[in-house]
Formats: sequence, C-alpha cells, structure tokens
Amino acid sequence: MKSTPLRRGLFVALVIVLILCCFLAPYAWIVASSFKNQLTLFNDVTPLSWKAFFPVGGTFENYRTLFERTNVLTALLNTAIVSGGQVALTLLLCAMAAYSLTRIKFPGARIVFVLILLTFLLPIEAMMVPLYQVVSGLGLSNTLAGVMIPWIASPFGLFLLKQAFEELPVELEDAARIDGAGHVRIFFSIVLPNVKVPMLTLGLITFLFSWNSFLWPLVIVQDPANQVIQVAIAQQGSPTQLPNWGETFAGATVATLPLILLFLALQKYFTQGMTTSGIKG
Amino acid sequence: MADVSLKNVGKTYESASTNTIEDLNLDIHSGEFVVLVGPSGCGKSTTLRMIAGLEELSDGQIWIGGRRVDEREPRERDIAMVFQNYALYPHMTVAQNMSFGLRLAGMDKAEIRRRVEDAAQVLDISALLERRPKQLSGGQRQRVAMGRAMVRDPAVFLFDEPLSNLDAKLRGQMRAEIRRLHKRLSATTIYVTHDQIEAMTLADRVVVLNKGRIEQQGTPQELYERPATRFVAGFIGSPTMNFLPATVMRTDAGVSLQIGDVAIPVPTARAEALRRHVGKGIEIGIRPEHFLADGAAAFITTVDMAELLGPTTLVHFTLAGVACSAMLPPELAVREGGEQALRVALDRISLFDPDTGRAL
Repeated sequence: MKSTPLRRGLFVALVIVLILCCFLAPYAWIVASSFKNQLTLFNDVTPLSWKAFFPVGGTFENYRTLFERTNVLTALLNTAIVSGGQVALTLLLCAMAAYSLTRIKFPGARIVFVLILLTFLLPIEAMMVPLYQVVSGLGLSNTLAGVMIPWIASPFGLFLLKQAFEELPVELEDAARIDGAGHVRIFFSIVLPNVKVPMLTLGLITFLFSWNSFLWPLVIVQDPANQVIQVAIAQQGSPTQLPNWGETFAGATVATLPLILLFLALQKYFTQGMTTSGIKG
Repeated sequence: MADVSLKNVGKTYESASTNTIEDLNLDIHSGEFVVLVGPSGCGKSTTLRMIAGLEELSDGQIWIGGRRVDEREPRERDIAMVFQNYALYPHMTVAQNMSFGLRLAGMDKAEIRRRVEDAAQVLDISALLERRPKQLSGGQRQRVAMGRAMVRDPAVFLFDEPLSNLDAKLRGQMRAEIRRLHKRLSATTIYVTHDQIEAMTLADRVVVLNKGRIEQQGTPQELYERPATRFVAGFIGSPTMNFLPATVMRTDAGVSLQIGDVAIPVPTARAEALRRHVGKGIEIGIRPEHFLADGAAAFITTVDMAELLGPTTLVHFTLAGVACSAMLPPELAVREGGEQALRVALDRISLFDPDTGRAL
C-alpha cells in the first residue's frame, strides 16, 4: 500500500491522540471521580468502564463537603502565599547569585559554583532532618516562612540563570557602564529585562515545585491553620475512618486548577525557556 | 574635544605569560582622528577598552583633557563608545537607547528630547525612533549606536571595529559617513580596526600595533610609502607588498641588488645606506603597482595567473622562487602562461634588514 501524505498525517495524529489519552486519562479519572459518590466511583472501575472517565450521574456533594467541612480555602491561601513568596525570593536570590558568578571575577568562583551545584544532587529526603533542625532553631517551625525559606536558594535556578547570563553579550553591560550605570542599575535595567524567558521559566518551575510540595510542609507545619493545600487534602478525613475518595479527588481537582490556568497563561514562555536553556522537561 | 595621552601603559593578564601591552606611549591631539590598526591579538581593542575604563591598567597612566582618568569610572571620563556588535539594549526603543545615558545623568527631559531628535536628524534615523533594535537592519543599528554616542556630546569618541559586521557596500557608505560626522563634530576620535583600508581612508594618523607594541605611527601616506618595518609594509596595502630576498652587490656603477639571477641597480640616493651591507642578504619590498610594464625590461617572467579587477589587472608570477603579484594596466594584453617583461620602480622600493625587520 502506497503511503500518501494524508495517510501519514492521519497516522501521526492517531499516535499523538493515543499518547495524549495516556497522559490525560488519570486526570480525567480524578476530575470525573470528584463528581461521584464513593459507591459509583468504585463501580465504574471494577470492571473498568468508559464511565470512569466522565462525570456520569454527577453530584457536587464532594465539593460542598470539601469547602464546608475542611480548611481547604485557608490552605489554598497559605499555598498561594508560600508559592508566591518562594517564586519572588528564588528569582531575586538566584538571579543575583548567577549574575555575580557570571560577571564578577573573583578567585574560586568556579569552585563556589560547583559546590552549589553539588547540593542539587542531594535528595530532599536526605536533607529533611538537618533542615528541620535549622528551621526550628530559627524559630520558623509551624510558620509559612518556614515552609518556603529552605528552598529559595535553588541550585537549579542558579544553573538555569547562569546559562542565560552567559549568553547575554557582555557589551550590553559595557555600553551601560559607559552610559553611567553601576552594577545595581545594570542588573535591574539591562540584564534582567533581557533574560525574561529564563526568569519566567524558573518562576513557573519554582511555583509548581512549591505548590505541589508535600513532605516538607508535613514535617515543619503542625497547626492546620498554617497548612498548605497538598497536606490539607491528605489530612482531610478522620484517621479512624476510610478516606472519602470523592472528596479527596475534589480537593486534588481544586488544587490542580490554579496550576493549569497558570501554565496555560505562560506556556509560551515555559516551552521556550525549556528549549533555549537546553533543559528537557 | 580633548587631548588623550597614554603614558607607559601596560596590561598583563594573569593567564598570559607575557604582557599583552607593554609600555605604550601615545599622544592624541584634540580633534584628531586616530586609527589603531593591527592583526587580531595585537592589543588594539584592549587599548581602547583601557581608555574607555572598561579594562584596568596594569601599568601607566591615561589622561583625557588634562585630567588623569585611569582610576575613574567610564562615566567620569567624558567618552562615548560604539561597539562592534552595536550593543543596543534589545528591550528599549531607539529613542530610549539613545537617551539612556542622559536619563541616568539626570538631564532635563526637554533637553534629552532635543538632543535625541538632533542626532536622529543628522544620522537620518528620525523615522526609527520608536522601533526596537531587532526591527532594524545592520546599517540602521550602526547609526543608532553612533547616535547613542553623539547625544552625550563627549570629548572623545571611541569606535571598536564598528563596521566589521556590515557587508562590503554598506561598510563603504558608513566609512564615508563616519568621516563626515567627524568633520562636523570635530571631536577627538579613536577608532580600532583590523581592516587597513578603513585605517587608510579614515585616519588623520594611523597607529600600527603588533604584539602590544607600536610598530609605527604616521599619516596613511607615510605608512604606505615609508614603512618603518617589514610588518608595517606587509600589513598596510592591498594587495600586499611583495617581499624578495636579495644580496647587495658592489658594481662599477655603485651598488646593485641581486634577486635570483636578476640584478637591479640601486639609485645613488639609496646606495649609501646599503654600502655597509655589501655581500650580505637583505629583503626587498616591492608594492604590486611598482612593477612596471613600460617596455624597459629588467627581467622577463612567465605569467602564472592574471586577474582582471576592472581598473587594473593583477598579474601573478614567480621571481627568484617567490610568488609575486603586479598591478598592470588592463589594456595590456597579459596572457596566462605567456611571457611578460617587467621592471621595478627603483625609487619606490623598500629595503629591510632580514634579522631585525627594520627598514634600511
């Protein structure tokens, strides 16, 4: 059979749709299940039916319970504060560190950079106990500041922005120096506006990391009033009862919605940043 | 306008074993157009960057307008610089690019606008003021970069290979424009290039640098006609000068130069300088246009290749085992593989000591 461009196009489209379905299926199941009661939810998956992925016989009961009986709104607000703060501080700190490591010549700059990068290799779980001791020692245990501060010095962010700064022609800064600008002015008026895409990429990655973080907030925050969304969802039921999966999925849906909206708004920069920085997601 | 003076200036890099620039002394007069020229790595851009304050000196002093400036910030030196890659701020419009320095200096808004508009008019970029650099062609970007320098009304203009990113035609146009601009502004101008044609066409004075030292400085004509070293003779002029090994011989009539089996008599005026080299080898430099085909043959050679360039024909041949080129009139019927009688314009040749490379 001869392959025509149309046939080839259809085949490619089919493969893409299949891959897309594989990725979207768990999310479709979560969203659909958030509109079902416990019984329907399990009936639809044993045996697996198409109904599992669609809110057939939907009810808003899970959402009503979620917002009335749990502190999900407070948790969402806390998460927004933590994530927003973490993004702002990470961008500021990483940009300043990357700029000084790229442009200011000092002995041992390379060693400092390698040492910072080495911390990137440590798994979060390995740092939990020492981090807990440090943050508690600073009196930040059980606070939102305690949730965000350990992660603002991001070696990944430093690496990403250092690459971006290295690609920026040094003549721009020379021209600014001749125009009368000092280091601070050059940094804010010339350098940062020209690394917008990597900055947005780092901002988005940091936001995702912070919004989805679970283990560290679980360790450092005990007060439910200061809890973040992912932990709040996990802790919503009573420890003595079986979890209500419909409510849990409703919580997961609510928690994911801001991320999807943010990604849709910034996806152009995100994909551009991932490509130009040579980092694959 | 201001004098610029470099006194015993040196620059050493930690990574390099030798000095990049050693004991450089240069006085540039107010309003003068000086071109620093030399091959890559000769230290010309480093020198310019030291004058600008973008590079620290290892030794020596720099004076601008009677003030010692080598420990001052670039903004305190009353200079403006045009960069090779234009260095326009990509996120700013042309007008913002041109006014950035003035805004930092806290200048009155109306005065900034007046200066930007005046410069834009002179450079014919008034219609581009609201565009961003990426919307401009290479030539337009270059004009904006010059405009950014002009609005500051500096005492000294510094140009770092500003035309090297442009195509040949545009380069020619911009050369003329820079020259016109210099006449109009009469500002002291220091211009760095590796292109000897730019150096020859623009400069009041050319300074040839080699390995961090000044080889020779003078007017373009002086450098072309009386190169002080073999390096300068080879660097200035296109097509390049022909260098041939020769032996100084005493003859009944005086002194002659033996190039292979061709003997060329030396004019009396030059003979005196060569007497102490009798029997020794020297190097003779002949510019391509100083081979003449006017019937008075000194030697006959076989033409390897002939290139018709329009106003002239570049003829390639071998003399005493050395590949040479001669610029001959196009109306002369030169045939590849054919024989051609040539003589040398003896009063125009250059002679060099083969050991030191210095002119004899």
